[in-house]
Amino acid sequence: MKKRILAALLCAAMMLTATGCNVKTKDDVTGGSTSSSETTSESTTASGDKVTIKLLTTSANETDANVIRDQLTKAGFNVELNMQPDYSSSQAQEAAGNFDIEISGWTTVTGNPDYAVKSLFKTGGDYNKSPVADSEIDALIEQAGTETPEEYVSTYAEFEKKLVEENAYIVPLYTSYKAQAVNTTVLVPESVHISKSRSMKWEDIEFVDSSKNETDPLLLTQTLSTLTSLDPIKGNDGSINMLNTNMYVRLVNLTDDDQITSEDSLSYNHAIAEGNQEYYFILRDDVNFAKVENKQAVDSGEMVGAEDVVFSLERAKDSNSVPEHRTYTLHESMDTIEIVTDLAALDAQKVSGSDTTVRAALEEGLATPISELVADKTAVDNAAGKYQVVKVTTKEPFPQVLNYLAHQSAGVVSKNQVESINTWDVATYDRNTDIGYGDQSVVTEGSTYDNHLMASGPYILLYKNDYEVVFQANPAYMPGTDSAPRIKNITVKFIADNDAALSALRSGEVHCLYSVPETKYDTVESDPNLQLTKIEANSVSYMIFNLREGSQMNNVTLRKAVLAAINQEDLIAVHAGQKLPAYSTLSPLVDTGNKLVYEEGKAQELLAQYQAEIAG
Amino acid sequence: MNNNSNASYLKRERKRKLSRFTEYKSATFATGITFAIFLVILFGAFDFATQSFNMGTVSASLIYLVSTVIQALLTFKIKSDILKKGEVSSATRKLGFIMLLFVLTANIFIAIAAFNLIKKDKGIEYNLAIYSVLTSFTVMMISLLNLFKEYVANTFMLGMGVLAGLTIFYAVVMLLIHKFVHGKNVDKHMKPIGYLLIVSAISGNVFALLLGLVIITKIKHAGDEISVEWIEVLRRLFRNNMAIIGMFVVTVLLSISLCSYLTFDYSIATDNNYSALLLEPSLEYPFGTDDYGRCVFTRIVFGARISLAVGIATTVVPIIIGGVLGAISGFYGGKSDNIIMRLLDVLYAVPGILLAIAIVAAFGTSTFNLIMALSIGSIPTYARTVRASVLGLANSEFVEAAKACGAKDHIIIFKHIIPNSLAPIIVRATLSIGGAVLSTSSLSYLGLGVEPHVPEWGNILKAGSTYLETNPYLAIYPGLAIILLVLAFNYMGDGLRDALDPKLK
Repeated sequence: MKKRILAALLCAAMMLTATGCNVKTKDDVTGGSTSSSETTSESTTASGDKVTIKLLTTSANETDANVIRDQLTKAGFNVELNMQPDYSSSQAQEAAGNFDIEISGWTTVTGNPDYAVKSLFKTGGDYNKSPVADSEIDALIEQAGTETPEEYVSTYAEFEKKLVEENAYIVPLYTSYKAQAVNTTVLVPESVHISKSRSMKWEDIEFVDSSKNETDPLLLTQTLSTLTSLDPIKGNDGSINMLNTNMYVRLVNLTDDDQITSEDSLSYNHAIAEGNQEYYFILRDDVNFAKVENKQAVDSGEMVGAEDVVFSLERAKDSNSVPEHRTYTLHESMDTIEIVTDLAALDAQKVSGSDTTVRAALEEGLATPISELVADKTAVDNAAGKYQVVKVTTKEPFPQVLNYLAHQSAGVVSKNQVESINTWDVATYDRNTDIGYGDQSVVTEGSTYDNHLMASGPYILLYKNDYEVVFQANPAYMPGTDSAPRIKNITVKFIADNDAALSALRSGEVHCLYSVPETKYDTVESDPNLQLTKIEANSVSYMIFNLREGSQMNNVTLRKAVLAAINQEDLIAVHAGQKLPAYSTLSPLVDTGNKLVYEEGKAQELLAQYQAEIAG
Repeated sequence: MNNNSNASYLKRERKRKLSRFTEYKSATFATGITFAIFLVILFGAFDFATQSFNMGTVSASLIYLVSTVIQALLTFKIKSDILKKGEVSSATRKLGFIMLLFVLTANIFIAIAAFNLIKKDKGIEYNLAIYSVLTSFTVMMISLLNLFKEYVANTFMLGMGVLAGLTIFYAVVMLLIHKFVHGKNVDKHMKPIGYLLIVSAISGNVFALLLGLVIITKIKHAGDEISVEWIEVLRRLFRNNMAIIGMFVVTVLLSISLCSYLTFDYSIATDNNYSALLLEPSLEYPFGTDDYGRCVFTRIVFGARISLAVGIATTVVPIIIGGVLGAISGFYGGKSDNIIMRLLDVLYAVPGILLAIAIVAAFGTSTFNLIMALSIGSIPTYARTVRASVLGLANSEFVEAAKACGAKDHIIIFKHIIPNSLAPIIVRATLSIGGAVLSTSSLSYLGLGVEPHVPEWGNILKAGSTYLETNPYLAIYPGLAIILLVLAFNYMGDGLRDALDPKLK
């Protein structure tokens, strides 16, 4: 009996060996080349003559970092991952030059190509962190800025080629979608817009049960709970973009697909005069500033006039108008802003590329034609033909200035109110004692609460605490028109974690989620109460190189090797296919026709070439 | 009334009779567990989304249902044998050989019951041999799953050959034990076998190691009247089913994490495969693939290595440091005791996981820092345990005697006191390894453990948690692995505590 068992066991063992003969080993499949990842991940010292690359990123980009590490490793690099827990600690590493490549991202909030390149790649640009210093690139950026949309396509195409293909200054990764989820049992889904660049537009949103518009608060969410500043020029980040966009009206707006429009803005119409250097705006008279009394929004009785527009834009372009001015670079292109009082001047000017006069363009669709232009806003009476017109002159011909004017930082503030609050001298400003207009402490519940905001937009902030910020509709914002806010009260809850925010949406704690992570698209789509809308966003992810003195990345062959090692298709696949290929930060804005094609083995070739270069 | 109490007496008597036979105990245990596995698989076969059954999984569960029925019939046979004849008949024992075949359905419980049934007088050696065979067989079976992959590691055939050889070797040892080992008498010729068994323990097979040690110790002590203490402990341990299953699980995991050097390919666990993202479990990818196309099964196998290594290291390091500190303060008492223990009290006041997070945050994430961070927090507990037992021993007669002989302090501490105070430490250590594994995983889950691409269980679980709704298996399997290992260590620790309990001697 026992011998039989032994025999059976031996038979089994032999069968195993027999089947084993058909098994392919790793060397059979990979052709004997030892996988590079094994050696690198198990011991960093065994890297030998491999090129070591330090990849800097934050844990928010963990997915990208993983794929890039994998692809670079497969291409033959030795990758050291430096993953920082948050943005500020990664900034510190970046400032110390402690990286070779860094994963970076850019969202063109103004929707125009100039913004997507100037501060990033022009020598000395605000966000040019590599830094890229290339006179050819500078010249192309300057040239494209003066051109019209039809003309600049080829200029930007050439710029892109220089930036990516020829010099490999950046490695493009992908373009993102912007996705929004709406609870359709509560909100009318068509009333919730999703725009490429513009932040969420609150005034159009309606409840399914319209009787609730007056009584129930609309519940929204955002991640950041520390508000940079409620003064539009003092912030340009995720904590205030949505809030300030809805609290201050602008001269023009961007449509959902990034076209310039006067709709729902402070102007009836706008016109570009011949020469692309002078821009005219004719203002409405049915917008008053709102203020807060006893935590309720009330009409201040003060109209939003041309004086306020001139004041707001003057301070927007002047870097010394307030301390911690964070947006003046957006408005540097403007030279003068003035109120036009001479009607004849409008007749004398022609609209750019057309035969109509500026006056005719501004009058288009007005109930009463212009009879008089007034300088003082108290004298305005549109029904009687008394209008105010603002003229913006740029330093160079620069049609894209309109995009900057549509940005939240060009929001109109009250001249009287801001001047009465910002009484300190900018040069001697002390952030501990001097309180500027829009400081978050004055709207935070508690002893410092003293809401001095004057909102020109559809909503005004009543108060905030650690959990939420509460808004109420401006009662004097274009009353009786389609642009007047529908829902009276809005509460924006602070939910730091995106997954938690999605859970809140699904449980009905919030009505709309502004940014849905791509791994959750399926979850949202499978929920019958939710509707997912997604559009291509202006957000591009890319990698920058450390181009400071002494960095190995100053070698163009090495940079090209890194560029060639990245396969965007794989990266997109890891993001569940919910990303689009990119060539540069311009990809979502201008159709330049440039494409990055991944070639198998090219990275290894370039890497070998680089190693030969430094050896010889 | 009288009749009734008589019936209950008979019932108790029958129970007592039956419980004397390990054959019956292990048979009922195997029946119950097999039925439970059947239920679990059947539950897994039901698709809640479509309200239907997955036929493939249902047929797999049916195999277990059939096994349950057969095993139940056999159990009934054993029971009637015992009650009628007072022993298990040899015909019934022969049935055990047939039941062994159930090992092919991956049912090790029936196999254990069958091994128990086949042999009448089961010494500790026979039991150890059973588990040695089962361990290497299970590891071999798990490694065999690699055959379904696109390719296997270069050393796969070598590894499988070694495993098959070991399995056969252990089976042969089992036969030799049957022939040459009778109670305390072990044939001298078994000595080389004993050494071979110890060498074979490189494969991580703890049972083989113990078996080798038992054989050699018994040969050494041949003719002694008193039985060796630790073999007695082992014997008591083997009476506890759950403890042995726990030890088996730990041994299998240990063994597979060592054998994976030969049979598993590390690149499958770490290299992304963009053409195989988020696949459902299949034969090629038994636990599916994660969002980077990496095989979750392979990752869990490699993760076992890290979890066990970190778990054991974070237990050994504080034992050494805490043990020495505790021994010194317990032996000398007075001021040194006060200083050491008060300092440790300060450390004790800081929550362990917070301390670990602080250390990792300060020194950066690496395996070494992780081990240090988790170790420091548990030094005081070990110091206290050792101090308590040293305090008890410091005044005992044999220490007095050693002192009277003029032995130096450090010799007394390390040669006389520490070996005698090991028992509580061993128990505490086994129980806390589970906790250490959990802490490692928790830190990795929080992104503070090892690098994200390293296959550590907490990391794998973290990657899966994003897909809890769409691809739940990505989180379930690493979760189960963690539960299994922690439970196994805890049951083993419980068993050890009982086995080491002096009251039970």
